[in-house]
Amino acid sequence: MTKEAVSIRDLNYSYPDGTVALEDINITIEEGERIAIIGQNGAGKTTLFLHLNGTIKSCDNNVVIFGKDIGQMKSKERIEKVGVVFQDPDDQLFMPTIFDDVAFGPINMGLDEDEVERRVRSALATVGLTGFEDRVPHHLSYGQKKRAALAAVLSMEPRILVLDEPTANLDPMNRASLIELINDLNRDKGITTIVAMHDVNAVSQLADRIYVLNKRMVAEGPPTEIFMDFDLLRENNLDAPDVFKLFSVLSCFGFNCESLPLSINEAVEVLTKTIEGDEKHVHLHIHEHTHEDLEVLMHRYDHHHG
Amino acid sequence: MDYPEIDRYASLDSPIHRFDPRAKIITFVLLLISFVFVQKISVAFLALLFSLLLLLVSKLPIRFILKRVQIVLIFVLPLLIIMPLTVKGTELFSVFGISATREGLWYASLIVIRSMAAVILILTMLGSMRFDTTIKALYTLKAPKTLVQMLMFTYRYIFVIIDEFLSMWRAMSAKGFNPRTNMYGLSVMGNMVGMLIVKSYERGERVYQAMISRGYTGNPKTRTAFAMRRTDYVLSAIFVGIAILVHINTVMM
Repeated sequence: MTKEAVSIRDLNYSYPDGTVALEDINITIEEGERIAIIGQNGAGKTTLFLHLNGTIKSCDNNVVIFGKDIGQMKSKERIEKVGVVFQDPDDQLFMPTIFDDVAFGPINMGLDEDEVERRVRSALATVGLTGFEDRVPHHLSYGQKKRAALAAVLSMEPRILVLDEPTANLDPMNRASLIELINDLNRDKGITTIVAMHDVNAVSQLADRIYVLNKRMVAEGPPTEIFMDFDLLRENNLDAPDVFKLFSVLSCFGFNCESLPLSINEAVEVLTKTIEGDEKHVHLHIHEHTHEDLEVLMHRYDHHHG
Repeated sequence: MDYPEIDRYASLDSPIHRFDPRAKIITFVLLLISFVFVQKISVAFLALLFSLLLLLVSKLPIRFILKRVQIVLIFVLPLLIIMPLTVKGTELFSVFGISATREGLWYASLIVIRSMAAVILILTMLGSMRFDTTIKALYTLKAPKTLVQMLMFTYRYIFVIIDEFLSMWRAMSAKGFNPRTNMYGLSVMGNMVGMLIVKSYERGERVYQAMISRGYTGNPKTRTAFAMRRTDYVLSAIFVGIAILVHINTVMM
């Protein structure tokens, strides 16, 4: 039986200057889920994340983690439950050496020296930075810093891992390895992962369920459902994955599939299934509605002339 | 641009590098205090020679240290001119009715020599261990928490701020800005410094949030593994001895 990992009820937050950042947020996330929160710049993703581990405390006690109000938790318990990896690794790596930084959380949790040592080694090994213990952060590359920042959170062995823009500014190789790493943590250790992303092409690789945030929670659902909703995407300044768009175009030409693929891997799967199936080939043709359908479709994806 | 990496040569190997960081900080600071209270030029000169000797033993590149000594010299050298003119005493010579005194020159020389000795000493100390080691040693020596954390963050973020400054500078050069000392140039530079302060302030807030996220409670805690060996005790004893000897000598002579 799955447990509720995160439950947020009617969360409101305004910045000190009165600007509303979050309005009536309701979220329920089960343990082991992979969640993405998407939304345009300034939609409140980071503010929401700061609530998730109690860095910003809500006065109404409405952020509940594993059945317990985060505001009531001691700092040790709080950081054991939820680990937040921030977007800019320079904000996250504040200690003089990588070892100190990765050890920061465990030491604050009051663990003994051997356990701290063990956790640092294992966290660094997980992100592939073994041997970097004595390095100073300003001598690392951006990709390495990003992984070190993740290790610094993994060393607290949190049950819920929250990542703000994990793939932003990374080269393709680092991006792919980070996505794989996050998914491994979810699959092998049952860690609930919550990511904020702009990169819609990578969203489906990291999430089974999406929340669309724009100060309020405007939508929630599986990726396919979210990306089918053109009005929703346009209103919130979001885009659909390229593969998804291409297959939408193909369906105007008569290509038939149950659910449109969201990534290149899914596309391969869909095509293989179709060609191996009854039809033995992909049949595309122009019928009477094709041009009309295409026009409607392209118009829907056009952000400039909404 | 040169990063101000005081610990660039911390990975060299010398008796000074191998000296236990805590003992090094205590004994070098003791030597420093002792040297700046020396009252005789001859003894001050010996102190300077001793500092130079330590620098040689440490194998740190002399130029690396001298470049930093220069900065201190800019502040101290003017004393050689100002003090002879202001301190009263026996006249050495006079120009346009303003007389330079022997005592003034003597005091100024004493100050210059003492400060050189002190600066070389402290640079040798800082240059011969990694800065994070220095911070940890200060931490184990129970230096005030606030001070230790300020040093820690300064060391961590000075490079980040330099990078931010450089990228702003490049962005401005790319848009054709030439630094000039006219009103326009100065106001642009002022804006840039202001921008840097705003950026640092915002970064400070984000770093603090990251710290809270990882259980920071105001007490810096870190793990250190320093161990005094026999050579450390011997070296400490010698340095403390010299620090005291300098003053016995002064009193007796």
